[in-house]
Amino acid sequence: MSVTLTPASFTFVSFDAAVIETIADDLVRSLGLHTHPVAIEVDETTPLARVQIEVGDTITIRAESGAFEDTRKPRQLSETATATALGRVLLRARDRLSGGFGEAPSDDQLSLAQMAAWESYSVGRLERLGITANQQRWRYNFRNRHGFHDQSDAAFDQLWSSEGLTWAELAEISRAAVPADA
Amino acid sequence: MRKYFPVDELARDQRFNQVTMRDRMADPRSVLSDRPESAGARRGSNRLVPSRPDASGAARALMHGIFVGEIQALEGAGRTCHDFRTAGDSARRDQDESAGLPPGDISDAIPFALKLDMARQAWDEARHVEISVKLSDWMGGEIGEFAENTVLFQAACSTDPVLRLAGVNRALEGLAIDVFTTMKEFGDLAGDPFLEFCEDWMLADEVTHVKMGSDWLRRVTENDPDRRKAALEFQAVVDKLFSYGGTRSDSQESPIGLARRFRELAGFTDAEVEGIAEVSLAALNERKASVAKMQAAAQQFTDA
Repeated sequence: MSVTLTPASFTFVSFDAAVIETIADDLVRSLGLHTHPVAIEVDETTPLARVQIEVGDTITIRAESGAFEDTRKPRQLSETATATALGRVLLRARDRLSGGFGEAPSDDQLSLAQMAAWESYSVGRLERLGITANQQRWRYNFRNRHGFHDQSDAAFDQLWSSEGLTWAELAEISRAAVPADA
Repeated sequence: MRKYFPVDELARDQRFNQVTMRDRMADPRSVLSDRPESAGARRGSNRLVPSRPDASGAARALMHGIFVGEIQALEGAGRTCHDFRTAGDSARRDQDESAGLPPGDISDAIPFALKLDMARQAWDEARHVEISVKLSDWMGGEIGEFAENTVLFQAACSTDPVLRLAGVNRALEGLAIDVFTTMKEFGDLAGDPFLEFCEDWMLADEVTHVKMGSDWLRRVTENDPDRRKAALEFQAVVDKLFSYGGTRSDSQESPIGLARRFRELAGFTDAEVEGIAEVSLAALNERKASVAKMQAAAQQFTDA
């Protein structure tokens, strides 16, 4: 199966479509998703960095240009940022397709805390695949959603180092990370 | 040691990538879009608050902006200490005259106490740089992770000390009051004790820096209303520039709000705060119009 990207060339930013396709193709193969067609649509009119994914017959990823951008050099592509942004949503898609996440809410129904927990779980796995990740960045995001205390940090560490979680396990780690009196 | 240091020669190591305001405004993309939010988005305002889905990343980016802003503020205050002499500094005057300055000209002289205040400010800014680096680490940021906009130092390059006070102490440090207030509130709402306390302490210093600028501007131009008027006009220009095309204004479309109470404490009159609110809103609307124009042009190119 193939990865397709639109637009094929960029006007607002200096991104190389072929590089994005190669990164996506490598990820799709290493995550075992190569039996699914993947379509990536980049909105280059905004510097925001939201990435959305729809899992159907085709896995469709809609990314804003900031998600793939080198923040040091505005409007230039960052291969690491691209791999991280795509890897996060592709892992979420793989989780949903794997069967253990049947009862997980759709992405737009996830709470900010649940999303932070799932992101921590995903980026930890990406790091083990060899993609550079700043763990403190994701820990800070997790703390913003679960609180700044030891209980939250322990939950983050558990998510970061986990493999093969189900939605019920992930949601429980996120729920238990917030103290009862918070 | 030379006077009036050019912005493109600021000392930075290879981690930094500097961009100008012109570069930034040439980016045809914008978060200030009139388009409806896409499916799944939860954003109703651009204000930097923890409930924004991208809050952690946006706060980290602003923290890096504060960090490089503190470096430039340190450089600006340090330059003001050095670039202007006191009226009685004969050794320095001889040195300046031998470098080609008009003999006997003391029009740029400043009071010694003003130099001392700038030295104190440089000391404060150095401490702020250290605090900002540690806060960046705490938030998962890295030095040089974002491009450095050099517009802050550019406002500190005037050869008139009164314009420096207006541009740096009142406009730049005034912006710092707005930014620190936003970040302090962010830390408070998110429950991040380090961010909240550090921003509060730095905010207190910034209020002092603006107050020093307000007081010295008044004193130095006490008998020269034309010079005071020119300085305040320059400040209005810099305030508009520092609104970053709408990044700071009263509008909820702007990530950073106008900290009216702290500005009042720093010596801004109500009329001055209203004036800044107006130029900030004008900057926001101009940026939106400019982006719409650039996006239409780019779309035509894509369609062709």
